[in-house]
Amino acid sequence: MSKQQSEVPYGTLDLLVLRTLAVMGPLHGYAVARRIEQVSGDTLQLSQGSVHPALIRLEQEGWIQTEWGISETNRKVKVYSITKAGRKQLLVEVANWEKATSLVARFLEES
Amino acid sequence: MTLRRTAHNLLALLRKRRLERELEGEIEAHLELAERDALARGLSPEDARREARLRFGGVEQVKELHRERRSFVWLEALLRDLRYGLSSLARSPGFTASVVGVLALGIGANVAMFSIVDAVMLKPLPFAEPDRIVRVWEAPRPGVSNATSAANFLEWKRLATDFEALSAEQSISVALQNGGEPARLNGKAVTSEYFRVFGTQARLGRTFSAEEDQGTAARVIVLSHATWQNDFGADPDILTRRPMLDGEPYQVIGVLAPGAFDRDETKFWKPLAFTPVERESKSHWLMVYGRLREGAELTQVNGRMQAVYAATMEKASEEDRQGAIVVERLARLLVGDNLQRSISIAFGAVALVLLIACANVANLLLAKGAARSKELAVRSALGASRGRLVAQLLTETLVLCLLGGAAGVVLAWTLIRVATPALKEALPFTAEVTLDPRVLGFAGLVALAVALLTGTFPALQTSFGSLAQTLNRAARGSSGSHALVRRAIVIGEVGLSLVLVCGALLLLKSLLKLQQIETGIRVEHVITTSVDLPKSSYPTPEKAAQFYEAVAERLRSVPGVSRVGMTSHMPLQWIGNGEALQEPGERNLVRVRLKRVDPGYFQTLGIPLLAGRGITARDTASAPRVVVINEALAARLKDVSRVQEAVGRKVRVSMPPFGEPTMSMPEVEIAGVIRGERVGPPGMPDPAVVYVPLAQTPATHVKLIVLAQTDVAAAVTALREAVRGVDAKLPLGEVVTLEQVRERTLSGASRPAWLIGVFAVIAALLAGIGLYGVISHTVSQRRREIGIRMALGARSRDVLSQVLRNAVSLVCIGLGIGLLGALALTRVMKSLLYEVSPLDPLAFAASCLAMVLVGLLAGWLPAHRAAGVDPVTTLRDEG
Repeated sequence: MSKQQSEVPYGTLDLLVLRTLAVMGPLHGYAVARRIEQVSGDTLQLSQGSVHPALIRLEQEGWIQTEWGISETNRKVKVYSITKAGRKQLLVEVANWEKATSLVARFLEES
Repeated sequence: MTLRRTAHNLLALLRKRRLERELEGEIEAHLELAERDALARGLSPEDARREARLRFGGVEQVKELHRERRSFVWLEALLRDLRYGLSSLARSPGFTASVVGVLALGIGANVAMFSIVDAVMLKPLPFAEPDRIVRVWEAPRPGVSNATSAANFLEWKRLATDFEALSAEQSISVALQNGGEPARLNGKAVTSEYFRVFGTQARLGRTFSAEEDQGTAARVIVLSHATWQNDFGADPDILTRRPMLDGEPYQVIGVLAPGAFDRDETKFWKPLAFTPVERESKSHWLMVYGRLREGAELTQVNGRMQAVYAATMEKASEEDRQGAIVVERLARLLVGDNLQRSISIAFGAVALVLLIACANVANLLLAKGAARSKELAVRSALGASRGRLVAQLLTETLVLCLLGGAAGVVLAWTLIRVATPALKEALPFTAEVTLDPRVLGFAGLVALAVALLTGTFPALQTSFGSLAQTLNRAARGSSGSHALVRRAIVIGEVGLSLVLVCGALLLLKSLLKLQQIETGIRVEHVITTSVDLPKSSYPTPEKAAQFYEAVAERLRSVPGVSRVGMTSHMPLQWIGNGEALQEPGERNLVRVRLKRVDPGYFQTLGIPLLAGRGITARDTASAPRVVVINEALAARLKDVSRVQEAVGRKVRVSMPPFGEPTMSMPEVEIAGVIRGERVGPPGMPDPAVVYVPLAQTPATHVKLIVLAQTDVAAAVTALREAVRGVDAKLPLGEVVTLEQVRERTLSGASRPAWLIGVFAVIAALLAGIGLYGVISHTVSQRRREIGIRMALGARSRDVLSQVLRNAVSLVCIGLGIGLLGALALTRVMKSLLYEVSPLDPLAFAASCLAMVLVGLLAGWLPAHRAAGVDPVTTLRDEG
């Protein structure tokens, strides 16, 4: 692959998943993974499978919910959508991220 | 973990299989979709599949992550800790074995003891509505309970309104011929309401009816379930059988349902039908049991029975009129104050042992913790939280305690099996000592409590402190607060042990006092057994007298036998039946105990004559009737200040008849006065006893007493052969030595002595082990210091004595605390002690000395090791 690839920054997968679902509406697991890759312009080296544990975790926290749907290949799949609590959590995560980046940015400015 | 996730995970646990399937489907769908996209981008099918898998990452890893998310983290941590704990225990087998062993001892003793407490004191009696079952006593004077007479019993039955059923009981013993050797069978003659009193029904046939209370006794019996099973082979046709009892055919009319009576000595019941003479008799020979009416209050019943008593005693003597009727619950009767107290004290003692065991285990855990502090510090530095470390240490302790508990249950099971036969006499027959679920539950609770008690502090202590501190400490070679705590624990152990040792010594001393009790008779080399003469072969007093004479003659000619005597009541044992003695011209009756004896009785037992003469061979049935009385009775006779004055007096004495109705109070002459022999347990005043010649009032139930010259075993054989030689069909009772009888009668109150003695030894041992651990630990940590001191010229002897002083000083502090505890605790034993003060200085001094010895012993080995330290090598090793 020609483009330089990077891994998902530590601890941001939840943020990415929540944000994706908030923007795109209900999606199944593959679509979530695919969407994250697309948005990154295929620069993120995401092993797609790692999305699934994240989805379970978010569901357990009550930030997303599932229902059954049918995939394009005619298979019964779980479709995930963000909940009200999930939207709140998304705001928290975004705020945290911004705090972190601005902190790092200040370091960069100083030096 | 949030509540929501917990709920999720709980659900997940329940739906594990479905979730696994769903996950599988989800991943497959994902891969399919990825593959489809790749195909759409123009890849070949193989490449598309490859790429889909590649981009997904490790399928199994994802599944594993998935599973981890939905499982219980703490549960897994616990399992991990358990596994870790078990393997670390397996790695130090010595430590594990000693902790498990100490705990097994402590828990096992407690579980065994609890099973007794449970059986005797906690479980209700195994009868229907046991609270309503009472014993009705006659009490001629406060504190003395007595049997009653048939006349009084019948009056109670007529007048008392508080009982649903009231029944009289007399113990009997018969010879059962059931093919082969005749066997003795203990039974009871009872009036018809007996089984209603105990709420026991017949499983086969019926129990007694009111008709069987009338007229001469019908030859019918009721068997206990166990008797039917054991002696009659559970014969389904038992109701048609006619077993021979005392040579007469009896009809079995019923077999009881299985129950408490199966553990009783009583094998069968027959009707008690009073003869006209018995109805009028003043003999007190009946035990009375009643079932209270629903809701009857015991205190009120006792009050109302006073009126009944007054009514029955209108014509009685002044002495008897001052008496009372005492109604008391069966449970109270079976579990008397002394038994209850003995059991409580023994239970307290094992609890102390357990406490000491806990102290030891805590000590061992602290020692181990100190050794592991480096490992834990490293784990903590690697991110393990303090909570996790405490949890892990506690889990290990829990594993240890559960192992100890399991071993303890096994030990308890063994103890119960071994001890139950020995305890049978001390415990009420209703008590069934078993390892039932309640007892096992208790064992579990104890193990848990022990784990918390012993584990919490060492776990906190061990996990406390930073890496730097720990490593520092390890380098310095001392463990600061650890050492202090361990010393404190040992001091406590010594204190607790002292309490136990002291209590045991007090009991031991009173046991020794009991051994020295003046019995008034010779017990050495005397053996005794009982014989029952069945009415069928011995219908008349003459026949019985012939039997006695024949047996005595045979025994007298046996070389190893020097003296032979016979009596109706076992020496040293309480005579339950009371008789009346009336002096001429007096209306008042004196309550006396009656003993029938043959001419050899006083000589065989070496009972000295104080005045007049003893009973001689000339006192036959046809000779004038005479009696011999004891000092206690002589002192109660009117106008008798010296025993000599009693001789020659004529008195009337009520005597239970032999077979045929006879005059109820014949006139007899007092021929002599003897020095009293002890009757019954210590603490009871000597009762007034009348000795009647066996030949003049023969008994069907006789004790043979033989004084062996030297060889007791040979005398036992001779005794058996003599009886068999006269009548081969007579079954012989248990042959016991009088020393055994004395043991049973006198030491009843201090039976827990040996038990508490064992506990005390265990306690002292445990304290010693704990002390040894602490001292040897101190020594090993001070090797360097000792090495330096020796290099500077200290002699081995100085080091030795210093270490020993250290041990003894710990013991002495423990003794100070223990003495206070012992002073407070030995008081509760007061009623179990016989002529020993609960503050007996000798016992206190001896127990202190014993503990100091334990301390010296525990310090000896470490002290020697310290004294043997070679300064050069030590300093080189550690410098």
